[in-house]
Formats: sequence, C-alpha cells, structure tokens
Amino acid sequence: MSRKPDIQTMLWMYKHMVLSRRYEEALAEAYLEGKQPLFNMANGPLPGEMHLSNGQEPCAVGVCAHLLDHDVVTATHRPHHIAIAKGVNLRAMTAEIFGKQTGLAGGRGGHMHLIDPAVNFACTGIVGEGLAPAAGAALARKMRGEDGIAVAFIGEGAANQGAFHETLNLAAVWNLPFVCVIEDNSYGISVPKGAATSVLHNDVRAASYGIRGYHVEGNDPLRIYEVAGEAIERARAGKGPSLIEIETYRLAGHFMGDAESYRPAGEKDALFARDPIPKFRQELVDAGAASSDDLLWIEEDAKSCVAELIDFAKAEAYAPVQEALEKVFV
Amino acid sequence: MMAAEKKRIRKLTIAKAMSEAIDQAMTSNPDVFVMGEDVGKLGGVFGTTTGLFDKYGPDRVRDTPISETGFIGAAAGAAVMGMRPVVELMFIDFFGVCMDVIYNFAAKNSYFSGGRQAVPMVLMTSAGGGYSDGGQHSQCLYTTFAHLPGLKVVMPSNAYDAKGMMTAAINDDNPVIFIFHKSLQGMGWLGTAKGAIVDVPETVYEVPLGKANISREGSDITVVGFGNTVHHALDAARDLALEGISAEVVDLRSLAPLDRETVLASVRKTGRLLAVDDDHLSYGWTGEVIASVAEAGIALKCPARRIAYPDVPVPFARPMEQFLLPNAEKVKAAVLSLMNSVVSV
Amino acid sequence: MQIKIEDDFWQGDDEAVITAWLVDDGAEVAEGDVVAEMMLAKVQMEIEAPCSGVIHIEMEAEVPLKKGMVIATIDQ
Repeated sequence: MSRKPDIQTMLWMYKHMVLSRRYEEALAEAYLEGKQPLFNMANGPLPGEMHLSNGQEPCAVGVCAHLLDHDVVTATHRPHHIAIAKGVNLRAMTAEIFGKQTGLAGGRGGHMHLIDPAVNFACTGIVGEGLAPAAGAALARKMRGEDGIAVAFIGEGAANQGAFHETLNLAAVWNLPFVCVIEDNSYGISVPKGAATSVLHNDVRAASYGIRGYHVEGNDPLRIYEVAGEAIERARAGKGPSLIEIETYRLAGHFMGDAESYRPAGEKDALFARDPIPKFRQELVDAGAASSDDLLWIEEDAKSCVAELIDFAKAEAYAPVQEALEKVFV
Repeated sequence: MMAAEKKRIRKLTIAKAMSEAIDQAMTSNPDVFVMGEDVGKLGGVFGTTTGLFDKYGPDRVRDTPISETGFIGAAAGAAVMGMRPVVELMFIDFFGVCMDVIYNFAAKNSYFSGGRQAVPMVLMTSAGGGYSDGGQHSQCLYTTFAHLPGLKVVMPSNAYDAKGMMTAAINDDNPVIFIFHKSLQGMGWLGTAKGAIVDVPETVYEVPLGKANISREGSDITVVGFGNTVHHALDAARDLALEGISAEVVDLRSLAPLDRETVLASVRKTGRLLAVDDDHLSYGWTGEVIASVAEAGIALKCPARRIAYPDVPVPFARPMEQFLLPNAEKVKAAVLSLMNSVVSV
Repeated sequence: MQIKIEDDFWQGDDEAVITAWLVDDGAEVAEGDVVAEMMLAKVQMEIEAPCSGVIHIEMEAEVPLKKGMVIATIDQ
C-alpha cells in the first residue's frame, strides 16, 4: 500500500521544510529583540514563551502532504511547522504570533493558540489536549458521512497522559478515521524519554487498543510520507485509527531561553550534523528530482516569503485594547 | 563565645526560599520527598527545587512523566500512608488534567474517614501572567481551589513568607495548594517585583497558614491584596502617602482558611475597603472579602470596591493583557476616587 | 576588595545583567555568601562574596555588565 512521493510532492515537502526553518529562524531573531542583554521574557516584539520546531519539519511535511483542507489537524505548543504544512494562512498566523489585530484571533491567542478554521487547524498549550478533540472531529465526519479524517500531533511526553490512552481506545471502539502522530523529540522539557516512558517505542502501545502501530526512524521525510500515507489511506477507507511514532529531534531548546543544560555534551552538535534539511536536499539532487539551482530557487523564495511575513506582521497595528473584552462568546 | 555580631542580612528570592524550606524539611524528615515535572536536575522550571536533586538523589527528588493524574494521585496515596510529598505542577493552568484526585480524593479524605486519615501533601504551582504567555499559561485560578472544602490555599508575597509558609505547609497534616506568583518568583527571565526579595533567616521557622499580614499600617482605607497585588497595593500606598492618604495594606497570604478577623479589624479602623485581585472578577475572593465585611455589619464611609481581572481569558497581545491586569496606578486611582466618595443615604 | 566581572566568568564578549542584589548596600557579608544573581543570555548565575566585610554596591540591578567591570567593593 505504501508508496513513495512523486517529484512534485517531494519538492512541495522540501519547500515547506525550508519555509518552516526560515520562519522559525526569523521568529528566533525577532524574539531576541529587546531581550538582550537581559533575557526577560516579557520584553520585545515577541514576548512570552516561544517553542520552535527546528529539526521536526519532516514530521509535518511527511504527514500533511497527504492531507486536504477538510482534514482536521490538532497540534501542540510547538505548532509552527505543522501549521505551515497544513496550509494555515501565514499572514494571519504571523500577525497572531506578533499579537496584532489582523492575526488569526486578533492577538488574543498568540503562538500556542493558532486556530484557522479554513484549513481545520488548531493547536493548544496543554500537553495532550488536542487528542480527544481530534477524535471528536473524526466522529463528526463519520456521523455526517463527510469526507475528511483527523490527525492529532502530540509529543512523546503526551503518550503518558490519560487522554492518550482514553482517546486511542475510544477511536478504536468507534472505528474512527483518526491518526495519532507522535513527534518523539526525546525530551519532555528536560526529562529524557527513557526516564518517563515505560516502553522504548510508543507504537507498541497501539496493540493495547487493537489498532495499527507504526514506528519511523531517522527523521526521514520520505519514510514518514510512506508510513503516514498508509495510515491515512486506511483511515479514509474506514479501516480505523492508527498510531505513528516518529523519531525526530529538536534543534532548539524546549523554549527560547532554555539553556539546555540537561543535554549530554556533544549531543547538540551531533543533532546538527544530522539536520534533515541538507540531508533531504542532497537526496533530492542525487535522485535527480531537482537540480541544486532549482532548490536554491526554493530556498531564496522561502527566505523572501518569510522576510515579507515578518515585515508585514511587525508593521501591523495592535487591536484597540478594549477588544480584549470581546469574543468570549461567539 | 557570645561575641556581639552584627546581624547579617541575607536576602533570598522566593524560588530560593522555597527550595531552602523543602531542603530543611527533607533533612529533618525522611518522609518528605519531591515529585514533579523537571524538578530533578533542572531544579524546577521556576527554581523551586534548586540543588535538591544533587543533595538527595533521584529517589527523593523524582522527575515524573507528564502524567499528572498519576503522580499527583500517587502523592496523595503516599501521603495517606504517612509520607509528606511536595509535588509540583508547573503551571496552575495545567490542573484540568488531574483535578479529580485533588478535590474528590485529597480534599475529602479527612472528612470521609471521620478525620482519621490525613493527606499531608503540598501541591506547589505557579500562577499569574503579565509577560504575554497566553491564556493557558497566565491564569490565576486561586478561587477555583479555595472554593473546595478540604484544601488549604496559600500564596506568599515575599521570600520570608515563602519559606515560613512552605515549612508550615509541609508540616501541615492537610493538603495544601501552595501557589507562587511568577511576577514575584525571582527568575531573571521573568522579572521580579523588588519587594518580593527580602531577608530570610537561615533557621527553620513557620509562618502560620491562614493568617493574614498587615504589610503596611494605615488609617484612611484598607487595601486587601494577595500575592502580586500586595505589591501593587504597597506601591500605590507609598504614592498615596505623598498625597496625605494613609492606606493600610493587608496581605491575605491564605484564601483557605481566610483570615476574616484581620480584614474586619482593619476595615473597622479605616472605614473604607478596596480589594485587589489578578484572578477573574466574578466569584473571586474579592467578593468573599467584601461580603464578610457586609455581614459583619461594619458601616463604611464609602462603598467597598474591587479591582480584579475581567471575566475574559488572558489575551496574548501585550497591550491587551496589560490593559486588563491590575496595577499600582489602578489601585491609586480607585483609592483616590473612594476617598472622594460618600455613601448616599 | 572588589567584586569584579572577571574575564574567565564566561566565554566571549557578551554582556550580562545582575537580576537581583541579595544584599543591601552597606550590609555585612561573609565570604562565600551569594550576594547577587546574574543572567548571561539564558543562564542564571550567582555571585559570591570573595571575602567578609561591608559591601558597597557599585552597579545597580538590570544594568548591562561587561567583563572587567567592578560591581561592588567589600571593606574588610
């Protein structure tokens, strides 16, 4: 059943990985404005916490390459790469991250609370919170006989939440068009997976609920594409939910400001040496899918696209403060 | 040798004061242990367990999975067996996932056992916004807990109280929700109200739970605060003094039990009352304080007033959030307007 | 004796900031007392008194600090 992406899809994947990386780098730069030399989270154009997804791009593109606008995605506190791959309106998303009036929520949400109903994307700041609502979205699609499945992205830490186990059981019992994707980046803030999780790989937990479990090594976008394709195809065909655990890694800290003192010496360098973007780039060139010049064009385009987004968001106005009192109810 | 030594002043942040209280309790009582997310090597995201992992090791300072229903429930179970767990849940916003065992088990176990089975646990957690962390990392939710019988709910406004209240909380035979405010905690990356960093004795001492503190004496008006709003009240009071207004500042320190006596005595003296809270307005403790004064039949010189966070979620955008939060200017303006108003007959 | 930001306190030429003085100006300190907390980029650090005596604060909190700066003196 599993199949490899065609050239067009591979280029789409590469483009969105690069776009996501440039986006996060630009946010990191903006985030540090006003925070030097004193790193006070409250200062600068991007106050508050900022969880960057550098390194985890393959998970987003490998899964979202199979999704259409009517498919539902719930993501985590580290949402940007997934939002970008799901096709969230990037101008409105960036304005939201900067707290501006033209943002997705008029500045009320911020970077952990990006909701774009047009492409059925949402994320949350609470670990594991998106799981059951995603299953509910799948239930709604099924009850109404509508097209569309639901994918819940979570981190490996969330697989130790009650909501994970309850939702998988529910999705299995009701045979929902639902896929749970675990981005295993090895750490829940400072706590390594091995100290927090009773099994080596979470895909084995699928057996407890009688559903398909997949494990993907190597942070490899093509392999993720193949596995996600099979799980999503099964969901669309009414063959029930699946659980996919992807071994990925974050090249950033848990949040901007994380000194990452919990990492063993040399770990960060080793991760950068395995950066999935240059690796994928080489694979595309080697496979003859694109020339280095073609890819350079994609890279330059991503850079200018991100620069335009950041400039736009910075220039936008904050909403009048009284608007903070609105929209508590629809 | 009793040579007269000049008393050394040693100031601590609330983070360090909490760590020191827990450290001293762990030294003297082997039943005290710590659990929570990132409390081990990292020393707690908000510095509450600094140095404890190195000193006591992973058996007594346990990093947990992100499984709050599990580890907070386990803390309650261990407490029933006589241990004295100090458990951290990083943000008060996160309690939704594990509330049952807190309010239906820990809070009710004494009652359901006819007072024969205690749950001596401390649940520490951060609260408060002001640094644009969005609506799931900036909430206060104080009265969500204070509303539930069987839980003691406290929050220090300074490091002296933090150490003494933590020691008292660990020694208490009941479940204590020990809240610390992020604006007061003493983490460089969050900014800290200067008044929170104060002299803290190295000796073990308790600040009794359920006892309010008169942070500043005054005669014209009583301003009641809790946690960070105590500092807003103190800042405003210093300003108001220059204008000839003498504001008395009451630091509640505890919502459950609520020290009504201290509040009533102050209001009897001043005849005016302003309550300032950074939690949501409706059904908040400000209403409880004002109701207590009303029920006591104290005649006020002007209507009581409250400043609190409006009944909306916490927005991310900095201008919006700052607009909604209480601050010293709002307290000062409210006091000035109260001083100029009278009760209509 | 001076409390100085020594060259080997951290690598590179970044600026640091004292986030909080933990003693008052003119207070008595003992050798080894933590007198201030400091942030360098994302890392929180402590500054200890190099000797006992009366401390005089030279640099207020939240002011950018460069290597070589004297942040306090201690009269022994």
